[in-house]
Amino acid sequence: MNKSFIAQNPSVLWFLAALGLFTLAVTLLSEATGVGLISTSFVKTLGKTLCLCLIAIAMDVVWGYCGILSLGHFAFFGIGGYAVGMWLMYARTEGIVLESLSGQVIPPTPQEISDAIGNQIFGVVGSSDFPLIWAFADNLFLQLAMVVLIPGLLALVFGWLAFRSRVTGVYLSILTQAMTLALSLYLFQNDSGLRGNNGLSGLQNIPGFEATPQATISIVFFLVSALALGLGYVFFAWVISGKMGSVVKGIRDNEARVRFLGYHVESYKLFIFTITAIISGIAGALYYPQAGIINPGEIAPITSIYLAVWVAIGGRGRLYGAVIGAAFVSLLSSWFTGGGAPDINLGFYTIQWTDWWLVLLGLSFVAVTLFFPKGIGGLFDYLVRKPS
Amino acid sequence: MSMLLEVSGVTVTFDGFRAINNLSINFAEAELRAIIGPNGAGKTTFMDIVTGKTRPDEGHVIWGERNISLLGLSESKIAMEGIGRKFQKPTVFEAQTVRQNLAMALKTPRDPFAVLMHRKTAQNAERIEKIAEEIGLLNSLTRVAGELSHGQKQWLEIGMLLAQDPRLLLVDEPAAGMTVEEREKTTDILKRAAETRAVVVVEHDMEFVRRLDCKVTVLHEGAVLAEGSLDHVTSNQTVIDVYLGRGHA
Repeated sequence: MNKSFIAQNPSVLWFLAALGLFTLAVTLLSEATGVGLISTSFVKTLGKTLCLCLIAIAMDVVWGYCGILSLGHFAFFGIGGYAVGMWLMYARTEGIVLESLSGQVIPPTPQEISDAIGNQIFGVVGSSDFPLIWAFADNLFLQLAMVVLIPGLLALVFGWLAFRSRVTGVYLSILTQAMTLALSLYLFQNDSGLRGNNGLSGLQNIPGFEATPQATISIVFFLVSALALGLGYVFFAWVISGKMGSVVKGIRDNEARVRFLGYHVESYKLFIFTITAIISGIAGALYYPQAGIINPGEIAPITSIYLAVWVAIGGRGRLYGAVIGAAFVSLLSSWFTGGGAPDINLGFYTIQWTDWWLVLLGLSFVAVTLFFPKGIGGLFDYLVRKPS
Repeated sequence: MSMLLEVSGVTVTFDGFRAINNLSINFAEAELRAIIGPNGAGKTTFMDIVTGKTRPDEGHVIWGERNISLLGLSESKIAMEGIGRKFQKPTVFEAQTVRQNLAMALKTPRDPFAVLMHRKTAQNAERIEKIAEEIGLLNSLTRVAGELSHGQKQWLEIGMLLAQDPRLLLVDEPAAGMTVEEREKTTDILKRAAETRAVVVVEHDMEFVRRLDCKVTVLHEGAVLAEGSLDHVTSNQTVIDVYLGRGHA
């Protein structure tokens, strides 16, 4: 990341400056500093939005730049969330169990402690044994490693199989969607080892920081999310600048031609698919402690489709477009579906936005695709005159 | 004389249709060759086989002094062996600048990590400029390729091939849709390229082939019908019957 990279990409500096200002403003106005103009729950919403922006830029790199319409990146996001959620839930339950057992005259054996934790966590799915995948749940660092390793490995294996067979276009989209659906359906099962449709909950309580108010925890996660988004943005901007960007965009526009230039197209696709999957996993790991709960519904294929809609509305093929799309649409979505938008009474019919928001979103997606293929981000082209 | 590329006894069938029928054809180092033939003669299929896009049912394709068989290699490996291909339609990367197009084609390491860590060097910039000069696009390096005229796109694609520094250049109908002036320039570029490498031009246009002034191979129904100078093959009665008599009457 030398000087010329930033010099060649002034939009990166602009983005970082905007992100920095936004972060500073939110922090100063939050309850954590005592000002309290922004409620803790809204800080969490903003922090989650930053994580969604991070996965959106990953989606933009894989779709907008490399031309792979993946409908599976939310699966990687969810896996990241589950990986960190396992530790959060285990460590917190362990704390509670140890506390409740501490009053006993005979100190509990490790087996008793383990059984009690297992009962607490898996009682809801009628079990008390720890499944194999929880083997490292007591170790934060191993679970954090899994945030990166599992999405990365899954993407590597899946991508290798798919790209090697030269599955492209809509077939690849269907394949990624099938992967997402399969994962989601598997997790819905009670014996999947991840509490079935209950998912993991209580993730907003960070073990070891029970005394810390949520106002502080929320702002810490908000800041870390902002940092992750900033770093992710610079990383992706660097990847898609220069020669790598040239090749990747070439693959999007004419895969066969790149192949005849001597590039092994499959390796490039695999590389992009895997690094974006890893970043998606990291985004998920930051998102779910702020959301407090993760369940298999979060991995349902529809979420990955929303992701594509965000990127399309924001503007494909420009990173800030993806950020704008994800932030704008997801915040709007929570405003409409959260009852923020007033219902419209037409006399004969009342438009309730909780029902009609999806219709509106669908229509805007169609409208953007037809009339503004560059998305919201395309507006910047009018502001910044292209150097000729 | 040792050959650069030897194609022998190659047959390809698509759904019962023999696109290439026991074709044998050789190319020497540093030669200019034109391949002509009516539609469906197998010209493009021949290129597909050499570049690894299509696998033949039978036959051998032997490359270079180490006599490597190209049949087991992937497209990108074949390209790295030194075979470059220009498509019929100009296929340049329209969203990128002329310089980026040439830089992508330049003979540099091709694996993802080398490309990710790639740094611009003065030496590469010089090579790009030299090629741009050769194809007459030196003043257009910063232009987006999509803005170029049809002829310029064709040259850019030839330039990308030269940047790959291949030992064999397969060029599919380079003169299609060009003005007379552009054709002359294209002829010059190809002739110069053929001084240091083998250049094989597939062409429909007799006038253009005449300008190339080189050995001509006539393909018909997937096999070689005649070979020699243009005057020699055009005086061949079979050639006149299958091709000239029909296409140029």
